[in-house]
Amino acid sequence: MSFDLHRPNTMAEAIGLAARLGPAARYIAGGTDLVVQINRGRATPQHVIDISHLADLRHDIVQTADGFSLGALTRYRNIERHPAFQDALKLLPEAASVVGGVQVRNIASIGGNIINASPAADFVPALLALDAELDIQGAAGRRSESLRDFILGPGKTGLQAGEILAAVRFKPLPAHSATAFLKEGRRKAMEISVVCVAASLTLDASGKTCLAARIAVGAVAPKAYRAAAAEAALAGLPADTASFRLAGQLAAEQAAPISDVRASAEHRHHLVSVLVQRALETCRQRIAGA
Amino acid sequence: MNAEAFRATGRVAGKRLPRMDGIGKVIGKHVYAADFTLPGMLYGRVLRSNKPHARIVKIDTSRAKAMPGVRTVITAADIPAVRYGQAVRDAPVFALDRVLFYGHAIAAVAATTLEIAEQALAAIDVELEDLPAVYDPEEALTNAILVHPDWQDFKVLPILVRDGNMTARTRMITGDADAAFANAYRVYEHRFKTALQHPGYTEPRASVADWDANGNVTVWTNTQLPFDTQTTLSEILDLPVSRVRVIVPGIGGGFGGKLRIGVEHYAALLARNTARPVRVLSTSEEELIAATPRQSAVVHLKTAVDRDGKLLGRQGRIIVDCGAFAGSGPAMASVSLQVLAGPYRNGTLALEGIAVYTNKVPAGSFRAPAGPMANFAVESQMDIIAEDLGIDPLELRLRNIVHEGDKGPSGEELKSVSVEECLRKAAAAIGWHDRKPAPGRGKGIACSWWMTTGGSSGVYVKIDPDGTATLVSGAVEIGTAALTGASQVLAEALSLDLDDIKVAGVDTQTSPYDYGAQGSRTAFSVGNACLAAAADLRQQLFELAAKQWNITTDGMELRDKQVIAGNKTIAIAELARLSRLSGGGLIAHGTANSPGPAFDPGRVENHMLPAWNTPSFHAQAADLSVDSETGAVSINRYVVAQDVGFAINPTYIEGQIEGGVSQGIGQALSEEIVYQNGRVMNANLTDYKMPTAMDVPEIECILVQSASAAGPFGAKGVGEPPCIHPPAALANAIAAATGARMHSLPMTAEKIVKELRSARE
Repeated sequence: MSFDLHRPNTMAEAIGLAARLGPAARYIAGGTDLVVQINRGRATPQHVIDISHLADLRHDIVQTADGFSLGALTRYRNIERHPAFQDALKLLPEAASVVGGVQVRNIASIGGNIINASPAADFVPALLALDAELDIQGAAGRRSESLRDFILGPGKTGLQAGEILAAVRFKPLPAHSATAFLKEGRRKAMEISVVCVAASLTLDASGKTCLAARIAVGAVAPKAYRAAAAEAALAGLPADTASFRLAGQLAAEQAAPISDVRASAEHRHHLVSVLVQRALETCRQRIAGA
Repeated sequence: MNAEAFRATGRVAGKRLPRMDGIGKVIGKHVYAADFTLPGMLYGRVLRSNKPHARIVKIDTSRAKAMPGVRTVITAADIPAVRYGQAVRDAPVFALDRVLFYGHAIAAVAATTLEIAEQALAAIDVELEDLPAVYDPEEALTNAILVHPDWQDFKVLPILVRDGNMTARTRMITGDADAAFANAYRVYEHRFKTALQHPGYTEPRASVADWDANGNVTVWTNTQLPFDTQTTLSEILDLPVSRVRVIVPGIGGGFGGKLRIGVEHYAALLARNTARPVRVLSTSEEELIAATPRQSAVVHLKTAVDRDGKLLGRQGRIIVDCGAFAGSGPAMASVSLQVLAGPYRNGTLALEGIAVYTNKVPAGSFRAPAGPMANFAVESQMDIIAEDLGIDPLELRLRNIVHEGDKGPSGEELKSVSVEECLRKAAAAIGWHDRKPAPGRGKGIACSWWMTTGGSSGVYVKIDPDGTATLVSGAVEIGTAALTGASQVLAEALSLDLDDIKVAGVDTQTSPYDYGAQGSRTAFSVGNACLAAAADLRQQLFELAAKQWNITTDGMELRDKQVIAGNKTIAIAELARLSRLSGGGLIAHGTANSPGPAFDPGRVENHMLPAWNTPSFHAQAADLSVDSETGAVSINRYVVAQDVGFAINPTYIEGQIEGGVSQGIGQALSEEIVYQNGRVMNANLTDYKMPTAMDVPEIECILVQSASAAGPFGAKGVGEPPCIHPPAALANAIAAATGARMHSLPMTAEKIVKELRSARE
């Protein structure tokens, strides 16, 4: 395991380097995924391009007229503690706070976690439930793509050669909305999800009827998915246990989990329906309490 | 003047003083074995089998040897065919004609860098031809596949009964169990299973070896048993013991996983071939496929009771899965029987312990080895019986526990019996009167007993002219603060402060012998040796003072760092200076030994540890909640009432209890080395799940102090017992919370959901 480490100063320099070095090069930011892969022999880059300190690659959280923009270098720890995410957008700190341990969250970037495209990534479902859009910088300029389309499968994304994920954007929630993120694993921290669920629910002004729901499920398919059937079914239904249970069942039907050392497929199926129902119920309670 | 004459004043012994090695460990100054390096050192790595059972068709090391930077490659062909082991000498350094488990060492490499060593492993061409294998310990007892077809050729302890894959069988028999069962009101029969658990030390096994110009080898290593390692190395290297020197720089946890030789022999052999120092440091993967985890076990337990829940007899069999080599399995098959008997008046006993080979990782003695497996069975079953008879589980235990002067399972007399006090205190603290406080919430209790392992200890204690003392012991400080405890005993006896004591590191060339940091014995046994040395030093001090004052030693006292006779006083420091003028300085050799109690040989067959030294008694209680949909367990409170005899330093005893319970919680709920078709599926710390701080509640410790006759100031062994009870206490609490009775470890959320579902159907 040896490689050349490059430390360019700008995104343009980094992209130029990546273009020149080709597939033998990998970008590194926090390194919490890549270094593990290198250590386990699953990645063998000959060149590593450090983008953790690029002058023009953001690591901040910016509130815009159109919602929020998170720089790709934003650390999980900053999301966990950001004051703007403690209410309706609670799913963000809930998901961020269960990624690894504190040391990992102090260094791991949200961009790296998206690019790594692990089916069990915790933050991805949270962003999926917000219909996040990605800003991607390449040699030819900047483009945008929805997160939903961007992740293709385990370790596979729509990132083109040399491109750098620059930022993640999402729109504000409508009125009478709340979010929640839930996760199950074998232990209560430092855990890879057996199942994780993110939900965003919007009710009518009376708080009794579901107007819209966005439900994302992780770790039970080659990539995290939006539970489309469950979302469609909920629109117009009363915001009650029966509706949420139905949504859980529909979300579970869409799951295609594997059995592995962490859990059986059967248990994962079961957990999807439980967690989706609970996440929606949590959202309902949060709207009522707001 | 003998050691027993010392009394604890509470001045040093018994006080919550900061541990002596604490600051160095906190600020990173402490040198662990994994930190240790030598100039010109090479890096060793071990090639391990990727098949569980296979014939070695070919090993070709020529490509690896030719690589630049590679200094040597060794295989079984390069070394004498020595087999080592404890009860059974069945383990070679490298696989001989066959590999016997996934992870079995095949070859070792030394190179100028770790990267080159790793590349060299990949360049060793090994051709393996699959053989049929046996993984299940029960199948192994009847299977035609022999893990060791040559088992009859092994050198073994004469006490062992063996047959094919069965490498030991032992029994405990009291009275006529068959008759008791025939006349019973009810008989309960259950089967329990436990999993392989890694000891979870923070520092992997690490050794550096170097040979001197005279053909002596020194190994710096993180072993718990430097003298045992020295002996094993002398056998493997075919050298007299005196030419093998083992030094323990520091050890980042052991928990029984670093008792026996780990990587020391690879380092020594590679260093001999290269004439350079060589370091071998295990990887996480090697730790999980080829260290010595706690044996898994299968327990069949039958219990007969009368109408009032009084025990009439226990019959049962525990099968201890040794993996590919016997290791501590025969001893654990023996010890498990005392735990199965429990701290109970059983009436009659007919228990059998069996150790069996399988094509899996050779297992070993993780903290209270055999304890949690047997306790999980017996204490789960006590609750099942209580439930069935409609008797409160605490009450059922109180009706059956042993009391002062009772006979133990081998017919030995039990002394300082405190299990009732432990049970009552744990129950009161957990709020036993409200055992099922809410749906999904419940409380469980479990009790047990455990030995303070014997074996001898020697110490040298030297007093310097400034009046301070140095303790030279062959016992390793493995992180328990046991040597701080022993030093408190020494300081108390010499009227010194703890700050006046220094502890020398362990070096087999200069340290007196010690049986080792194992079996809850270090503070106990080294403490006793310190008392013996202190008695000797006190006499030397008195004689020096007597000579100085021209009086006899009658009525002299050692107090406040001085010798006192009437109105005369002289400081220890002054006497130490005087001793240098004529007596060569003040030094004493203190020794301690703790023979086992007398027992009835008619009650045991082929048992390696028939009667326990200075047993301790304990109870633990848990209050937990179970999520009925996800199966997730959250422990609300956890209480331990443990008899420690005398609490030499309550802070570090509580530390031992907290750590042991945490490991027990791991074994109970999450930890397991998972095999599929002979391969380890979770050989990394991502998927091998030790509990985190978020999984372990605050552990509430109640230190019961029922003094022993044998320990320093009445102390009993402390370190191992805390990890015995958590599986049973938690299983009983889960049953109280949900009605679901778990029969196998770990009790994962998934298993609990399954159990709840099948209970509903």
